[in-house]
Amino acid sequence: MKTRIFSILCENVPGVMMRISRCFTRRQINIDSITVGIEPSGLARVILSFQADDHTTEHLRKVLERLIPIVNVEIIDPEKAAVREISLLKTRRLDDREVIDFIQKLEQKSGRVLEINDGVVIAELSGEHSKVEETVKELSPYLKEVARSGQVYLSKE
Amino acid sequence: MELTGSEILWRCLKAEGVKEIFGIPGGAIIHAYDYLHSETEIRHILVRHEQAAAHAADGYARASGRPGVCITTSGPGATNLVTGILNAYMDSSPVVAISGQVSTNLLGMDAFQEADMLSIMLPITKHNFIVQRVEDLPKIIRLAFLISMNGRPGPVHVDLPRNIQSAKADVEIPAKVELNKYIRLDPKPYEILQAVNLIVKSERPVIMAGGGVIISGASPEITELAELLGAPVVTTLMGKGAIPEAHPLSLGMLGMHGRMAANLAVSECDLLLAVGVRFSDRSTGDVRYFAPKARIIHIDIDPVELGKIVKPDVAIRGDAKRVLRALIQALSSRWQKGRTEEWGKKIQQMKRELAPRMDYDNVPLKPQRVIKDINEVLDTVDAIVVTEVGQCEMWAAHFYRIQKPRHFIASGGLGTMGFGFPASMGAKVAKPNHVVVNIAGDGSFLMNSQELATCVVNNIAVVNCIFNNRYLGMVKQWQDLFFGKRRSQTYLGQSPDFVKLAEAYGAWGDRVERPGEIKEKLKLAIESGKPAVLDIVIDPDEHVLPMVPAGGRLDQMLT
Repeated sequence: MKTRIFSILCENVPGVMMRISRCFTRRQINIDSITVGIEPSGLARVILSFQADDHTTEHLRKVLERLIPIVNVEIIDPEKAAVREISLLKTRRLDDREVIDFIQKLEQKSGRVLEINDGVVIAELSGEHSKVEETVKELSPYLKEVARSGQVYLSKE
Repeated sequence: MELTGSEILWRCLKAEGVKEIFGIPGGAIIHAYDYLHSETEIRHILVRHEQAAAHAADGYARASGRPGVCITTSGPGATNLVTGILNAYMDSSPVVAISGQVSTNLLGMDAFQEADMLSIMLPITKHNFIVQRVEDLPKIIRLAFLISMNGRPGPVHVDLPRNIQSAKADVEIPAKVELNKYIRLDPKPYEILQAVNLIVKSERPVIMAGGGVIISGASPEITELAELLGAPVVTTLMGKGAIPEAHPLSLGMLGMHGRMAANLAVSECDLLLAVGVRFSDRSTGDVRYFAPKARIIHIDIDPVELGKIVKPDVAIRGDAKRVLRALIQALSSRWQKGRTEEWGKKIQQMKRELAPRMDYDNVPLKPQRVIKDINEVLDTVDAIVVTEVGQCEMWAAHFYRIQKPRHFIASGGLGTMGFGFPASMGAKVAKPNHVVVNIAGDGSFLMNSQELATCVVNNIAVVNCIFNNRYLGMVKQWQDLFFGKRRSQTYLGQSPDFVKLAEAYGAWGDRVERPGEIKEKLKLAIESGKPAVLDIVIDPDEHVLPMVPAGGRLDQMLT
């Protein structure tokens, strides 16, 4: 079982996510990550990753392409794709010393402070999934809340 | 000109060529029915349960090749369609189902008779819609019909809120829309070349024809190719009628309850040409031992089916008729006559030696004998045979010899008891000049027997031949064979009296108990010109044999 990535171009209409996700549910496949963006054409680009073998992946691709609102499904090779995940972080109320420590550690990992309000720092962090994962873990003593985007892929080919 | 949603709906249906529609009115579809009151070009058949409306539309579609249409109210009316719609989906039947819905401002409010039909129908249709604006209605109806018939057919559901039916709009009918889905009908030249290269090397070819052949209208091509190659033809349940079963090269149905010669031919062949099939487990048995000596060519219009279960040596994507035409053309110069002579002799020998026995004189009646006599009567009248589900269906599929496509209608993928009677109603409405006979079991028939009222009131003269053994026969058979003969909850008791039941509805009814009576009473039933019930009392201990146990090998049948 390998990580698979589908880049699905589809009509931007209510219910389209349900039509897509049920194809996975029915086959008891967990979707690890899902992101949606609207293309300049007005169509939606859904990027999702999951674990499956070759046969299931190809079957799923064809099943998805059969759906009426779906224009096409591309399989993205993770080796040949740019990958990013974005995290938004909110700290608990920190004292002055902790704020300085937190910002130093964050900036070492290329994170960025968005605002500081009464000792509560809001920051953003982006990068590959494992790097973001690692940094969030390291900063966890300071953190109260984390919002993560899931992984966004773009084929380099 | 401004029209209401209801007027738009019926005008759109007429623009699609709809002449008949099956349904039941209710609160959330009442505006649509109000307009139907003054409609003269569409015949509405008022059924007695919405499930029957869906099955009738399905039967209509299968007999005619045109979309069948049904209409119901919201909530329970719409959910009662579910079994029928899934049945149509599993068997690739073009059904357009319309149901009322609560007004758009009440959606999601748990309003009276509200059901989330968009979500419920989503996994069991080719596509489904909810109409949010009356202006969209012509486009949605046009798309519903286009989608139902495009490529591999299937059901489409349209959810129509009550306020949309009464809202007004100035619209163009029919709407000008095109499908975004391109379905490839013609094969690629290299696919044909690869297939021909395999075929010309074969000495023991078999053609396996499925429902796709019927849908595509490719029966003449199947027969022509079989004759060109000297290749025997086996069919799936859905493919019955793809080749006349009296044809010397026809081996009948394969699979769990297939003919022994058909299963052995598939197990022995060196080339399997599978056309419009989806390799259901009921057809293949254990896939690891399916056609073990053969190179496999799989032809289907739906790319999802290619490689799904059986990995073919050559996959050809396209419409069966066009692909077969291309193959015949390419083979006519390259095929060496006489290559399959040995194989042909062996096939004819198997066919002779393994022909099933049907001429029993026993009382209670043996179902084989009943099928034989029904077959002999119906061969003279070009009848359409519909079946319920279970033993009755398999006896019909195994023993009855169908001569034409669209003359055998059975619930394949879903195995829906209660399908046969309403489906035969639909077939009779589509083909009023044909005799339509439902080969039923007593268990299945009771699941939609209320439709006797529909048939009597609407003069739909379907003949029901009830193979009455007072059991849920197929389950009983499995209990007898695999569960130590413990007949748990499969005995139905001695109720009802089917003759009296028929008479209570105003239908023709009679009982058959002896071999000599079958033909005579079936003829009387047909000649009555009325909806009819023949209560045929059969041996309750008879099994459908031979049989490949579930997951077993085709060449290892219980006899």
